[in-house]
Order: sequence, then C-alpha cells, then structure tokens
Amino acid sequence: MTRKLLPALVVAAVALALYPAYGTGYGIRAMLQIFMWVALAGSWNLISGLTGYVSFGHVAFFGTGAYTGAILIATHGWAWPPAALAGGVAAGLLALVIGWPCLRLKGPYFAIAMLGLNEVLRALVSYFEGLTGGGNGLSLPTLYASVQIYYAMGALAAAVVAATSLIVTSRFGLRLMTIREDEVAAEAMGIDTFRHKLLAFLLSAIGPGIAGALTARDQGYIEPLSVFPLAITVTMIVMALFGGKGTVWGPVLGAVVLFVAQEIVWARYPYVHPLLFGAIIVAVVLAMPRGVLGLLQVMYRLPRTI
Amino acid sequence: MTITPTMLGQVVVSGVLAGSLYAMVALGLALIFGVMRVINIAHGPLLMLGAYTTFFLWAGLGLNPFLTVPLAMIVLFVIGALLQRTLVFRVVDAPELSSLLLTFGISIAIVNLAQLAFTSDLRAVEYITGAWVLGGLAFSKSRVIAFLFAAGVTALAFLVLQRTRLGKAIRATSQSREVAMVCGIDVGRIHLLTFGLASALAAAGGSLLAVIVAIQPEMGQVWTFKSFLVIVLGGAGNYPGALLGGLLLGLVEQLAALVLTTQLSEVVAYVLLVAVLLVRPTGLLGGRQT
Amino acid sequence: MAWKAFGALVAALAVLASALPVDAQGPIRLGASLSLTGTYAKLGNYQHEGYKLCLKQVNDKGGLLGRKVELVVYDDQSTPATGVRLYEKLITEDKVDAVIGPYSSPITEAVANVTEKYQKVMVTPLAATTSIFKKGRKYIFMVISPAEVYLEGLIDQAAKRGLKTVAIVNEDTLFSKAAASGAAELARKKGMQVVFQEAYPKGNTDFSGLLTKLRAANPDVVAAATYFDDAVALTRQMRELNVNPRMFGVTVGGDLPEFYDLLKQNAEYIYGATQWEPTLPYPGNQEFFEAYRKEFGREPVYHSAAGYAGCLIWTEAVKKAGSLDSDRVREQLLKLETRTAFGDYKVDQDGFQVAHKMVTFQWQDGKKVTVWPEELAHAKARFPTPPWNQR
Repeated sequence: MTRKLLPALVVAAVALALYPAYGTGYGIRAMLQIFMWVALAGSWNLISGLTGYVSFGHVAFFGTGAYTGAILIATHGWAWPPAALAGGVAAGLLALVIGWPCLRLKGPYFAIAMLGLNEVLRALVSYFEGLTGGGNGLSLPTLYASVQIYYAMGALAAAVVAATSLIVTSRFGLRLMTIREDEVAAEAMGIDTFRHKLLAFLLSAIGPGIAGALTARDQGYIEPLSVFPLAITVTMIVMALFGGKGTVWGPVLGAVVLFVAQEIVWARYPYVHPLLFGAIIVAVVLAMPRGVLGLLQVMYRLPRTI
Repeated sequence: MTITPTMLGQVVVSGVLAGSLYAMVALGLALIFGVMRVINIAHGPLLMLGAYTTFFLWAGLGLNPFLTVPLAMIVLFVIGALLQRTLVFRVVDAPELSSLLLTFGISIAIVNLAQLAFTSDLRAVEYITGAWVLGGLAFSKSRVIAFLFAAGVTALAFLVLQRTRLGKAIRATSQSREVAMVCGIDVGRIHLLTFGLASALAAAGGSLLAVIVAIQPEMGQVWTFKSFLVIVLGGAGNYPGALLGGLLLGLVEQLAALVLTTQLSEVVAYVLLVAVLLVRPTGLLGGRQT
Repeated sequence: MAWKAFGALVAALAVLASALPVDAQGPIRLGASLSLTGTYAKLGNYQHEGYKLCLKQVNDKGGLLGRKVELVVYDDQSTPATGVRLYEKLITEDKVDAVIGPYSSPITEAVANVTEKYQKVMVTPLAATTSIFKKGRKYIFMVISPAEVYLEGLIDQAAKRGLKTVAIVNEDTLFSKAAASGAAELARKKGMQVVFQEAYPKGNTDFSGLLTKLRAANPDVVAAATYFDDAVALTRQMRELNVNPRMFGVTVGGDLPEFYDLLKQNAEYIYGATQWEPTLPYPGNQEFFEAYRKEFGREPVYHSAAGYAGCLIWTEAVKKAGSLDSDRVREQLLKLETRTAFGDYKVDQDGFQVAHKMVTFQWQDGKKVTVWPEELAHAKARFPTPPWNQR
C-alpha cells in the first residue's frame, strides 16, 4: 500500500519543500505548526496508540526539549541543529527515568503518573532559575531562521511518520500491539513486555523533545507556562484519536484537519473550541475507536497498515 | 531559617485540615476504581461543579454555605449517575485506554462548559473568615468546620460501606464482579450507585473548598491527580487506606512547603508517588495489585 | 493529484495577492493580537476597549493623515506562541499598515521578535518588564511604568514611618519577579531589612506553608507582587493564619473592583499599586472616564487607560511624522514628550519609559484612596493596619 502511495508522497514532499519560496511569513509559520503537530500526535501514537498505555503528560517531553535546546543555545552558544538533537536526547532520558518505575505496572498507574508530570517539571524549571531563568523565561539571541526550522520540523514530521510505518509492519510493532490487546497473553507468549513498552515510550519521547527545541528556537523566547501547558497534550491526543490511533497516517490526518479547522473556523469562536475537543474525544472513543482513518479503512477496504 | 516548634505545629494543623479533604475526595475516586476498574479523570471537575453549586445556592438563595453541602452532594449524585448511565457504562469492560480517554474527554468538556456558563471570573463565598488562636497556633475557622464536615461525611460513607446492604454489595462487586453477579447482585445498578456516591463525595469536597478558597472552572483538575496519589499511598482497593493516604499527603505537602519552598511541594508529592510505585506498588497499607 | 492542485492553487493565490493594487485611499489598518480568552482575558478585554475608544475618537476627528483608522484584532488565547503567529499573519498576510502591542509582558517579549524582524514600530501599552526594552530592540516603545517600581510607594511610606523589616513574596512569573526584585532593592536602599523572600508558582492556591514561615519572620511590612487570583487567596489566608503586618500591599489585581467584592471588609487597609486612577488630575482624564463609561457601560481600569493612551501616543507620533514609515514614526516616538489622560510619556533611547508615575492607593471604606505620592494624594493613609479581628 505504501508503495502505491509513493508517487503522491514524492509530489507532496516536493510541493512542501518548494513552499517557502512562495509562502508568506505567516504561511510558513502555519505549515511549521502543522509539521509540529504531526510530529507530536504521531509520537503520542507510538506509545498510546500502539501499546494502549495512555500518556496524559506528553507535553513534558516537549517542554524538556524546549528548555534543553534553549539553554544550550542561549548560555552555551550551541548552534540550533545540535541543540535540537540534544533536546530529543534529554526527552528520551526523561522517558527512561519515568518509564522505569511506572511501566512495570499496569495502565492506570502510568496514565496518572504522566498526568502530574508536566506540573512537576514546570515547578522544577521555575525553581532552578540559575539554569533556566525561572519565571523570567529564557530569551534566545535573535535569529531569523523560520525557513531553516521549517525544513527541520518537516524532516522531523516525516521521520516520525516513517518510523511509525516501519514499526507497524515490524515484529516489534506486532508485539506492541499484542501488549495492547492482551498484556497477560503477551507475557505468556514470552514477550518481555516491560522492555518493549519502555522502548516504545523512549521512541515516543524523542520526537516531542526535538519539536520542543525547534519551537523554542523559532519563537526566541520561552517560559515555564508556555512550554508545559496541558493544552498541548490535549491537542495531540485529540489529533491522534480523531485521525485514528494505532495507524500510520491517522495522526497526520488528524493534525492537518484539526489545525486547519482551528485556524480558520474556531479562531472566531474561542470558547467553543476546547469544548469541542472534549466532545471529539468522547465521540471518538464511543463511536469510532479507530478514528476517521479507521472508518475509511472499513469503507474502502484499505489495509490496516496505513 | 530555623524551624521552631510553633512552625512545625502549624504545619501539622494545616496538613491535617487539608488532609481530611484529600481523604474524602480520594475515597470517591477509590470507590469507582475499586468497583469498575475505571480511573475517573473527571473526578476533579465534578468537585468543581460541587463548589459552584454551593456558590450559587449561597449567592442566589442566601443559604448557609455549610448547609448546602448535602444539597451539592445530591445534585452531583444525580449528575454522576447520569454520566455513568449515558457514557461511562459503555467502557467499563473495555480496555483501560477507552475509559481513561473517555473520562479525560468528559473532564475537558465539563471544565469548558463551566467556563462558558460561569465565566472564568473568580468567585468566593465570604462566610466565616478569621482564625481561632490557641498557643500560637492559628486554627482557620472555615477550615476547622470543613474538617469536621469532611470527617462526618467520610464516617457516614464508611458506615454505608460497612453496614448497609448497598455497601456490602459495593464491596462484594469490587472484590469479584462474577461472584457478586452469581449472588444475585445487580452489577449495573451497583455501578450506577457507586458513580453517584463517588461524585457526591467529590461534590462535598468542592462544597467545603468553596468556603476556603476562591473558585473558578479550572480549580478541579489538580484534584484528580492528588486523589490518585492518595489512593496509591493508601493502596488501591483498600478503602481505609485512602484515609491514611489523605492525611499523609496533606502533611507531606505542608512540610515540604515549610522546609523547602511552596514551588517544590508539588515536586515532593510527585517524587513520593514515583517512589511508592517503585518500592511498594500495593501502597503503604497494602492492597490488591491490579 | 490533490497535491498538485494544492500547489497550483497556492501559486495562483500568491500571484493574485502580489497583483492586487494597494488602495491608498482605504483606511489605515492597525493590527494587534490581544488576550481575549484564556488567563489574561479579563485584562486583555479592557485593553481592547481602550484601543477601540481611542480609534473611535480619532476617526470622529477626521482620522489620521486624512484616512480612517481601522483596528484588526485577533485573539491570542493568552499564549505567546499564538501571539507570534498572529503578528506574523497581521504583517505578512493581512499586510496591516501598522501594529500595536498585545497584553502582558511574556507575550510582548515573544512578539517583539516578529515586529523587529519586519521593522514595524510597536507601542506596547501593557508590557512593564524592563528587560524587554533593554535587548537592543529598535522599534518597541513602553508606555507604563516598569514592574520594578510597582511597590515603591509601599516601601517609601514604610521607610518614612520608620518601619524596619519587610517580607516580599511573589508569583514566579516575568512581571511579578521584576516587581519583587525592584521592591527588595528599594527596601535595602532605604535601610530596611528584607527578612523573608519567597516565590510561589502561578495558580498556587495554598499559601499556608509560605505564610507560616513569613509569620515566624514577623515583618513590619508584607509586600506581595501578585496578579489577581493570588492577591485574593493570599489575603484570605493571611487572615486565616492570623498574619498581622503593620502594612500589607499587593501589585496587580488589588486595584480591580472585584478585589473588594470578593474580600469585603478584609480588603480594608490593604495597599495597592496602580498605573492610573480616574481621579488623577491628568488632562482629558475626566472626559476619557465619561466617554468610556458611555461607550462600554462599565468603568475603565488602568489597562483600559493604558491601551487608550498607547494608541493616542502612536497617532500623535504618526501625525508628527506625517507618514506611517517605521523609521520616521520611530524618530518621533523617541522625541515625543506628552501628558495624556494616562499621565506622562517620555522614553529613553531604548524606548524604555522614564516619565510615567505610579500611584499607591489604600482601600478605605470600600473605596480606593490615593495616598502616594504626596503631590497626587487625596488623603492620608490609615496607619497602622489593625489586627484582622479588629477591622
């Protein structure tokens, strides 16, 4: 199936690669946001969509990456590309630290441990103000690199989608989905569920970490409140669910559709839009657990691996 | 800064007063989890609705805010039962992912509905303010009364659980649903009543909080996390454990704010959670691991 | 293929946009993103009304450079990231003729990077953090007094009364931190001792641990750098824990009518700092107050007045420059010295405000009474603050 999609993908990639040449400053920033949401929703999908372990705190990795990147750029003079990678590494380390105690236990413990994580990191960032600037935030030296960051974020989004595609069709992915369907059975089959979950969690943290660092560079100023909000977690969950969790292209679909809708329609009805997010989650869980893409798969008999 | 005995005493007072509310609210979450294996992420937002119920009864009808506690509990019992009846019952047997996400969606919807309906302006019930001062320790009047109410409601809840047929049915269902069914217990009805009862406990918490702190639509979310922390400390499925967990969390938070800073008290509570999960996942009193 | 069509569409749109003639006779479009929802919604809406009233009056008087002025406003949901995107949209897509500032220091800090990139002059009426203006930015201009002097009135009065010790607490955000450090520095300069200082996170509701420590330090003065929610919570819990300083002052939030509505008699004797009061003898202040009440059906707060004044200052500079050209407007804004309904305006070479004055008030019998500085005071402060149970 992915083979058949290939020509379309190439055309899309070329169109997107050429876009900065004729897009406006706003258009580039908007596309950059779409890439970011694709990367975030796709990453959340890696742990929650594939293993069924719900992460309510994925913004923690985004914020960790943002601060790691920003500190390296602002106080250690790093160039932004290595700083962004370092953001991914830091987020991965955090995932190991949290995953180690929490993934040994079953779902609810992990979910709740993640629920409080962003608040805790926010408090820590505020407390260690010598390093992070605390509540003053961190200001990066001025650099107009929206176009370069556009490409970097685009590459990140593509990498997350490609990784998901590889995982879904691999033995590793099959084992993760076995854990999702029946963890006890998975263990009985000899799958080391803890290590598999931990690896999936690690992979799912790296993307948000890099995205956070890139966002910090692009905005030039971060503060604890702006990089650890619950709203970012909510948005990535809604996007992944709406498009179709556990699929390769579902999070992409969700990110594009919901971001565009948010930007064009909902900006006019500011209070209604978070309410709608809540309603979408409820509706998707009850009525179409595999999201819009799941419906399309059924309607058009598409393979389940897209 | 040196810590004097008076300061420590004050922390114990504040911690116990806060802990009683934690214990009561967490008991509600523990009941739902015990009976249905559902973590109700919307527990905190339901508490917020309880707070608004008290506010409007006080501001609109001039009722004594402490007398509104049972009213708020009834209102939220009905709302909770309705939520169970219309939405939550569909995911009770589904994988955890579904129930977590569903209640998460409900929680977001409730908070934003409240924002639309009540606006995000702060509201406060200005009823009993001030403190009784005993031996250098300040006992906030409103918090002491809230403590007494919380103790009363919690005792009542335990009485129901231990002594009544309903309570026995709830405990039986939480031990084994299949056996409960075989014994002729209408499990669906028990789920409904449990969800209602749990929401009423959250409402009591919100109602009492309304007299202590200013209220706004986002006040509830942190309570979901804190309630779960209390359950983990006490041991999941161990209802008396929730009492111990609540008091412990109250004390730890206050002590951390005293010895470290207010900012770090959140971190300390979290580290406690992770440590307990790592070392003794069945909770301090022990419980059933799920 | 859909993507090809998409590409063609984008290309066509781009050609179309560049081919459209610019209508010189159309209105001047002034763009801003404001916090109309989210954390800062209440204050952002006041600022929005200030802008609207200013432009209405400008248009009633025949407009600016012979053209009407039209406000293009988006909602940034109180988040810097959205603000950045919206200013980018205003400048590159909507192609507004000029921009004016958003609400709050953090959003201004983030947005200023965009406006500097496109070299757009931006008067920022509600950014009070010094550091924003001290980074070598060329095109932003401050209107209100910096955060560091918010508590000056409280500390100055305390020092004059011979009080010796002060405790300083603050919310851990950009503005409040600056207000707290300004207060600490000032207190030391005036020979007072800072016996306790601690920050608490935004959204904090439980102050008992912090206040237990504060009470043990037994300060004469408690200076709190707050926003609204925490100002209310802090006051209530000081009463609950029986913390009785001889003077207690807050920064933002204490000046809103809701502060007294929520706290009733517990708000009595509390000092607050404000950038502006309707009763201050500034030119046009009374007229502004009346016009605002007529237009919006409620009384303005200082955020309204600052928005109003910021917009007037910008129009003044445009008039003097005789053009909307950034560099020429900038030159005028640097030179301008004026007094509006909001008070004095004069900036240094960085666009940093040096003339505007803060006033300190005290809640007395349900009213805000200006008590400092002496030349603007309406009455004497009630001193000392009695214990809670005697108010």
